Amino acid sequence: MKTALKYAAAGAALLIAIAPVYWLVTISLKREIDQFAYPPAWFVFEPTLEHYSDAFRGSFTAFFLNSVTLATGSTIAALLVGVPAAYGLARFDWPRNWNENIAGWILSTRMLPPIVTIVPLFLMLREARLLNSLVGLTIVYTAFNLPFVVWMMRGFFDEVPREIEEAAMLDGETAVGVLLRIVLPLVKPGLAATAVFCLIVAWNEFLFALILTQTESAMTLPVGIASRVTQYEIKWGAMSAAGVVAMLPVLIFASVAQRYLVRGLSLGAVKG
Amino acid sequence: MSDGLELDRITKRFGTREAVSGVSLAAKDGEFIVLLGPSGCGKSTLLRTIAGLEAPDEGVIRLAGRDITHREARDRDIAMVFQSYALYPHMSIAENIGYPLKVRKRGQPEIAREVEHVAARLGLTSLLKNLPRQLSGGERQRVALARAIIRRPKAFLMDEPLSNLDARLRVEMRAELKHLQHELRIVTLYVTHDQAEAMTLAHRIAVMRDGRVQQYDTPSNVYHRPANTFVAGFVGSPSMNLIEDPGSNVTLGIRPEDVELSRTEQSGWTQARVYVTEEMGNETLVVLNAGAMRVTARAGAGSLFDFDAPVWFRFRPDKIHRFDRGSSLRLPD
Repeated sequence: MKTALKYAAAGAALLIAIAPVYWLVTISLKREIDQFAYPPAWFVFEPTLEHYSDAFRGSFTAFFLNSVTLATGSTIAALLVGVPAAYGLARFDWPRNWNENIAGWILSTRMLPPIVTIVPLFLMLREARLLNSLVGLTIVYTAFNLPFVVWMMRGFFDEVPREIEEAAMLDGETAVGVLLRIVLPLVKPGLAATAVFCLIVAWNEFLFALILTQTESAMTLPVGIASRVTQYEIKWGAMSAAGVVAMLPVLIFASVAQRYLVRGLSLGAVKG
Repeated sequence: MSDGLELDRITKRFGTREAVSGVSLAAKDGEFIVLLGPSGCGKSTLLRTIAGLEAPDEGVIRLAGRDITHREARDRDIAMVFQSYALYPHMSIAENIGYPLKVRKRGQPEIAREVEHVAARLGLTSLLKNLPRQLSGGERQRVALARAIIRRPKAFLMDEPLSNLDARLRVEMRAELKHLQHELRIVTLYVTHDQAEAMTLAHRIAVMRDGRVQQYDTPSNVYHRPANTFVAGFVGSPSMNLIEDPGSNVTLGIRPEDVELSRTEQSGWTQARVYVTEEMGNETLVVLNAGAMRVTARAGAGSLFDFDAPVWFRFRPDKIHRFDRGSSLRLPD
């Protein structure tokens, strides 16, 4: 009885989570006439791929590539800056416990709603002539993900027993060597988990991309898909097809990184 | 100029707390020195200072005649064995042992040869392909030792290396360690709170308390001629009886084995009552109450006394230690 209840609750949660995705996928496969059928054609309809070819018409491929470049670029940049910063905060002695203060300040940048920074960001990027550019957006996304990287990685570094690093130093290793050859291999699951989160955030981001790009040259997928809502019509089928395609990379990446994700997220709880 | 390791007035503070206060020690090349003391006495901090993991606030460290006080840990040519073994979890046993040579950019064939040699010596040959987590505690301990000896450093530091092993393995490894150190003849500093380890391993013991060295001497002298009441009470199990002599400014010390017991009255002996008898198998400890005084005596195996039974005891006159009550220092015999 208890088990049945558990499964029922899990099933309900699953249904709620899956329903929009299911709807998106079916819409992308339905002919226009089936999309608005009443009662809705839940399961039975004549599938078509016309919306997919429709979606790939125009700049969709360019948007897709923009998103890929932006997500990977900003993730790599955030890791390159954030990982050494986190290691420094976790391991080195700072006068007057300043590592706690600095870490607090870094975190505090995430405490305000992102929208409040949009006007200054817009002005700064305009002055730097980085509006409508992937470089500009990469910088913004990197800044956005950096606190997250620092805080997550700091937790993972804290889990590495200090004595292992000290042993490496006595064995003749430099500080950089300790980080590269001893510590990073040990926090690999944490590194993977952090990268996945950064990628997902950058991949899905809509607001900044919408405001900081006005031409198609630097537009990302979420903005590109939304631009299918025009004054004259809403192309539901094409939008859904584009949405499905946009979901795939994250889905694939997350499932590949899954074994790291689970270990990474539980690394803080159980000593490895 | 001297060989070996020399500490000259080392002081280390954490904030306002002095963990190590003006410690001076000299160890000859090949000597086995044990730092013995209760937890928090500064022995581990001292070891970490020598390793280069902490910087001393004052003092000089010399190794093989060279001042290494301000050198990086990696440039000191010192190997350390940690209490937790601190093996590299992501490397095989062979990689763990060979790591110090790899960092020194030695060639692959040379590393492989040396690893094999050291592994054979410590009985690890069959485990070389395993990962540390697949090994037992005793095996991990050997790997840590192998990693330390492979590059023939100028000094070994060991921070309670046996304390995570079970009692039997600990005694076994203790003997092995002693023999290994004898073969290698490399100056060794070994930190422990276990006096049995200190007595059995050391050429000389430095007994520490509150960041200071209380006595630095051979195990025999530390046991038979303790420099003050702290050393007298800390070394030896059960502890030396320390009795305040009324009417003088002297504390008397007497080891339990130097307390003579009799079931019948002897002239000049003191009468007491048995508080408790503890049978240890090879001997029996008898705790006595004589007025306000409590004395532990060591009796032969199988000597049983009832609770509250009357007994007579005396201290062997030539075995009485005398300490000044004010300074707690040993008085001249």
